[in-house]
Amino acid sequence: MAAIVLEGLVKAYGGTPVVRGLSLQVGQGELVSLLGPSGCGKTTTLRMLAGLEHPDAGIIRLGEEVVAGPGVRVPPEKRGLGMVFQSYAIWPHRSVEANVAYPLVLRKVPRHEVASRVREALRWVRLDAFAARMPHELSGGQLQRVALARALVADPRVLLLDEPLSNLDAALREELRAEIAALRARLGTTLVFVTHDQGEALALSDRIAVMNRGVIEQVDTPERLYREPATPFVAGFVGGANVLRGEARAGTFYCAGTDTAFELPMEAKGGPGTLVVRPEDLELGDTGTPLVLSARLFLGHAAEYRFPVGDAFLRVIGPALEGVRAGQTLRVRVRKATVFNAGA
Amino acid sequence: MRGRWIALAAWLAPLLLFAVVPVVALLGRGVGAATGGLGTVLAAESGALVNTLGISLGATAWALFLGAPLAFLLFRTDLPFRGAFTVLFTLPSAIPAFIWGMGWLSLASPRAGYLNRMLGADVFNLYGAAGIAFVEGLSGLPLVLLAGAAALRRVDPALEEAARVCGASPLRALLSTTVPLVLPALLSGAVMVFLMAASSFGVPYLLGVSASPPTRVLTTRIYELVLLGSEEGLPRASVLASFLLLLTPLALGLTWVLGRSGRVRLSAGKGVSSRVLALGAWRPWSLLAVSGVGGVLVVLPLAAILLTSLQRSFGAALTWDTLTLSHWSGVLWDSRTLRATGRSVLLAGGAGLLVVALGLAGALLRRAFRRGGAGVEAMAVWPFAAPGTVLALALLVAFSRDWRLVVLDRVAFVLALAHTPWLLLVGYVGKYLALGERNSSEALAQVDPSLAEAARVGGAGPVRAFVDATLPLLRPALTVAFVLAFLACATEITLSVLLVPAGSEVLGTLLFELQSYADPAAAAVLACAFVALVVAGQAVLAWARRRVPEVR
Repeated sequence: MAAIVLEGLVKAYGGTPVVRGLSLQVGQGELVSLLGPSGCGKTTTLRMLAGLEHPDAGIIRLGEEVVAGPGVRVPPEKRGLGMVFQSYAIWPHRSVEANVAYPLVLRKVPRHEVASRVREALRWVRLDAFAARMPHELSGGQLQRVALARALVADPRVLLLDEPLSNLDAALREELRAEIAALRARLGTTLVFVTHDQGEALALSDRIAVMNRGVIEQVDTPERLYREPATPFVAGFVGGANVLRGEARAGTFYCAGTDTAFELPMEAKGGPGTLVVRPEDLELGDTGTPLVLSARLFLGHAAEYRFPVGDAFLRVIGPALEGVRAGQTLRVRVRKATVFNAGA
Repeated sequence: MRGRWIALAAWLAPLLLFAVVPVVALLGRGVGAATGGLGTVLAAESGALVNTLGISLGATAWALFLGAPLAFLLFRTDLPFRGAFTVLFTLPSAIPAFIWGMGWLSLASPRAGYLNRMLGADVFNLYGAAGIAFVEGLSGLPLVLLAGAAALRRVDPALEEAARVCGASPLRALLSTTVPLVLPALLSGAVMVFLMAASSFGVPYLLGVSASPPTRVLTTRIYELVLLGSEEGLPRASVLASFLLLLTPLALGLTWVLGRSGRVRLSAGKGVSSRVLALGAWRPWSLLAVSGVGGVLVVLPLAAILLTSLQRSFGAALTWDTLTLSHWSGVLWDSRTLRATGRSVLLAGGAGLLVVALGLAGALLRRAFRRGGAGVEAMAVWPFAAPGTVLALALLVAFSRDWRLVVLDRVAFVLALAHTPWLLLVGYVGKYLALGERNSSEALAQVDPSLAEAARVGGAGPVRAFVDATLPLLRPALTVAFVLAFLACATEITLSVLLVPAGSEVLGTLLFELQSYADPAAAAVLACAFVALVVAGQAVLAWARRRVPEVR
């Protein structure tokens, strides 16, 4: 049984469509990420799920119950969800304990039970020693963990996370990411996770829904999304692939607007299309297309080479070669690539 | 969302009934009366018109002359004791102008003023147009000063440094970069001084009406015409009030234009840490000058009031044995004072609560109607800028008769406000609603909406989420709004004098009566009490402002 069903959701703000016909199912206990660039409608979708926004059209079901749809509008407090906000949204005038206890108090849980459940929730996020502190005495990572405990304490049927890690520095982000994964394994809660960081989505999710301009481009497991992107956008956003427009003809891809052409290692249908090739699937060597190097960025384990192609850059990742300078002409060979036909 | 429209209607209804309709009716009356012979009215009142404009311009020039250099010295240089001076120079607008008028009157009234007696001759005469402009300009000084401070804080010191690097001397750099950028803000502060001076009533009454020959301005003329009675006086008063009212949108429009031209782009990157200009060898001289100005213009009149309150009689010889506390005990424990105090506290407290409640509601509506919110704010703020005399006259005319609202031929509401303190309450709330709305709006903008949303998702209904998550964070701002409104109402004079019914005095009218008709010494005691109240209120404000919680 699906825990969440979204059907044909539409939302516009003052004439600007933000979500345009979005459908998605999330299974019980599943972690699904909504991944996309800023402004793609992922946060709006999450807020509609939480009940903080109402869709202009479409239906939202939580389990068997329709919570939003024509004539139905269940307010957020009646949906039994937990949510972690990007800005933490920890009430500054309440102690850590009082913050976490709030959903239980509203549910009229007996007082002794509140105390024990708050203690347990704080133990989940390793903050049991901080119960009496006030929020201004806590660091950003600790505040985010309070928010997590508060969202989980009332045993929500779904936990919603709105970019929970984006306000933290890199090291803390790693730590909290691991913590979320561990908590989820332990509690088995259904999770919907909004992020613009594909690394985060790939590491945590059972499935990822890649969103672009208000619609879902592809929903799949992280592996399949990475290996078999369904659209050039998914390939570019998730894998960081080079996306070049042009035309495929007789085993060769001709880039539009330039006289650059790449020999393809596989059969491709002729006609206008998009060449998608990952930086690590390109090779510098003695054969291939000659291109002028514009920059070489040393990455440590490898190096990134950039070649201007038309008005874009072609990124190649390979072994760090000595004595290579910008302005030099190098030969680039395509080892593996995908061509999306324009019609499809 | 039908709910917000109902809420808007519920909020607008009292505002329309008690502020918009009376003022529009007054305007209509004024225009109606004017068509019957604008020429004769203008000819008869041209003196008041010319005086109003002249005095207001004089006050504006005086405030700008003092305020511009002070703003630079206090907010841009390394002058010692800048913080203390800032508090000192903002006192003039915290204490009612009428009290400053009293202070200067005890210093510089012809013959009896302390300064004249010390110099042994009639050097100063505060009565007349120049004296009014002098006192009004001083009490408007903080408007210029604070506008200048806000602008100076926004100007990136790097602009000045760039001029220095290009080869300009420190003074040249200041004059060619910072001054042009700050000037529009100073001028818009000056426009507010003009508006304040044109709509002020207490000081022109004190220093103009009893002068010989009397100097009349629009506000005091309106007062006299209202006292004259309805047949001839009221239509003419309406014409004058309409004219006075037209100054408000003109002045506000002018400040808006100045504000646009003065918009300064914030520098990106490193914060604008205002670097202070070292005064160097000028530092002790500047300190001397600023403390001299502060001592003479702010401390001296207050000291004069204190001295007057302690003297056996105003004009008596200045020796130790003429000092007495008899006025203090006589005034403070007088049953008339106690009754007026009780009434003022009740009225100011009630008005403060209503201002906070209606202001908070206005701020919430403003947020709910995103784009239409500016209209809600304008509704709440305009009476603050409108002259008190005009508001009072409008209420007086509109509610001189009882209003009867009959619903369904059965239930009748009778609104009988004439000659009751309720009309005064209505006037106070209308006039100072802006304090509640502005403070709540600013605080609300600081509160992250996700705090309330987190409570909603946690299981709270909309009202519960507001009470639990948002309201506690607004409390310091609401306290500030209440104290400001309370202080303003408790020390208010203009509306009170016109609206207070016979036999039920408030503190403002008591002060006015004592000073105008009875005993300067008794009035001085009351004025000291006012100053103490204001200082105590400012202390509460400072404490409440420090308690604004940090929201991450």
